[in-house]
Amino acid sequence: MSERIEAEACVIGAGAGGAVVAAELAEGGMDVVVLEQGHWHDPDSFTARPPQMLARLYRDGGQTTTLGTPPILLPLGKGLGGTTLVNSGTCFRTPAKVLERWARELGLDMSEESLRPCFERVEEALSVSEVTPELAGQNAAVARRGAEKLGWSHGYLRRNARGCVGSGVCAFGCPTSAKQHTGITYIPRAKRAGARIVTGADVERVVVQGGRASGVRARMASGAHVEVQAPLVIVAAGTIHTPLLLARSGLGGSSGQLGRNLSLHPATAVFARMEEVVDMARGVPQSFYVDEFAPQGIVFEGVAGPPAYAAMSLPLTGARHAQAMADYRHLAQFGVMVSDSSRGSVRSVAGRPLIRYDLEEADLRRFRTGLARMRELFEAAGAREVYLPLPDGVSPERARLRDLKLMAFHPLGTARADARATHGVVDGELQLHGARGVYVADGSAVPSSLGVNPQMTIMALATRLAFALLGRDVEDAQAKREAA
Amino acid sequence: MPTDSSSRGTLDEFVASAPALQRVGMRALVALARRPRGAALLARAPAIDQLAQIVVALGRYDDPEVAMTLGWDGAGVVARGRALRHAERRP
Repeated sequence: MSERIEAEACVIGAGAGGAVVAAELAEGGMDVVVLEQGHWHDPDSFTARPPQMLARLYRDGGQTTTLGTPPILLPLGKGLGGTTLVNSGTCFRTPAKVLERWARELGLDMSEESLRPCFERVEEALSVSEVTPELAGQNAAVARRGAEKLGWSHGYLRRNARGCVGSGVCAFGCPTSAKQHTGITYIPRAKRAGARIVTGADVERVVVQGGRASGVRARMASGAHVEVQAPLVIVAAGTIHTPLLLARSGLGGSSGQLGRNLSLHPATAVFARMEEVVDMARGVPQSFYVDEFAPQGIVFEGVAGPPAYAAMSLPLTGARHAQAMADYRHLAQFGVMVSDSSRGSVRSVAGRPLIRYDLEEADLRRFRTGLARMRELFEAAGAREVYLPLPDGVSPERARLRDLKLMAFHPLGTARADARATHGVVDGELQLHGARGVYVADGSAVPSSLGVNPQMTIMALATRLAFALLGRDVEDAQAKREAA
Repeated sequence: MPTDSSSRGTLDEFVASAPALQRVGMRALVALARRPRGAALLARAPAIDQLAQIVVALGRYDDPEVAMTLGWDGAGVVARGRALRHAERRP
């Protein structure tokens, strides 16, 4: 059985990139089909229970792991909204220095000023605003106290949330639908504008004929095939899966860069036992940051969750673990994120992604510094005890690669943009080098580590792409306001 | 969707969602960690023991009664969210 659908554009994936492109194209009058591998998750099914929500909202139950030293847990969302469904909602624009480097080294015309209207449009669509101290909760207050005592640069994060009451389970399905993930924002907009959203569709290949996109072939869970005939194909299956799809379609391989240049923005977290009651899961888990060491590639961001989550990440065992958990209400936690210079790769083995990534010495040094500074932060905040994610007796200064316990949330770069066909998979307009009409609109096209959470960069680039395909300029909201 | 909401049920759902190799490994580790002799055996390999303890702890502290003693009322958070969504007609 095979169903044929005709459309002007086929978007593969409904996460940060795909949902935005689909909505903007559909609202611009284009006939759009979205193929999403996952499904719609009804907020009524959210239970705030970490193991259950990991199993339901994440690929492989959130247990995707890299192969290398050290192994790194890489949780990825699955369903309408993609990883925006399960991230913490933190919103940063692309740092100007990063854009300048892309222009200088990769020939990409993506200046801060040219992207400003795209960022403003996304921020307005997602109700992006700064977390208030009241909503941030006590976990953020602890970090703030430490940063203020030490005189370190810090602030409250901007998030895509509306009517948030600080449920504390952003990563396990927002029970109030306050987090404005793309599954409840851009996807409904796309639908209202006439886009057809097909869930449970496993895309097998992108079809290119005579050097031009002609459509997409997908397989449904029932075994039936769907063939979408479309002259525009926008691949947004995510940094791990986009290169695999392009490779099995025989596309994007000419530069030798497909599946390479993987950056992860690896992270680890430190716990502290405080005198005061923290109740880390009351409030916005990721609400506060310390960027004192950002020039060195190290940023601290809040992280927190219910007891099951804390028990899983607390770096203790046996009786010490039980004792610390008995004091859960007094536990604070904060994350150390490293803007990595290490690079990995992804390729398909038996149809599944094999992610190789070895942390380089330079990034190990960043983690050593980050962990030492984080201990200092908690001590300045009055911690009774600090629990570093290192083996007993190993100090941050002496930590080896294999001592680190890392997670990563921001994979980028596996189909990187570069104006030169010999160096990149897509060009500055995000079109595949060597295949007209095939575009990439997810983290895989983002050419390097950003040093900040990437969802806004992905969405802004997706907005820019959509308007370019429509042949229109993105409305300049600032200019409009000034004119008014 | 499985409907078993006991902590063992949610943990089983978590383990079942893992990639095949990890799933087999985790099931073996959890089975060992839940038995005194198995736990003693695991204690000889600290790295593996820690992994087993993480998985077991995830299940133990997911138990609503245990979580409640630590000040976390997950069911209350969910109920409040549901009421707010319905009252304000959120998606």
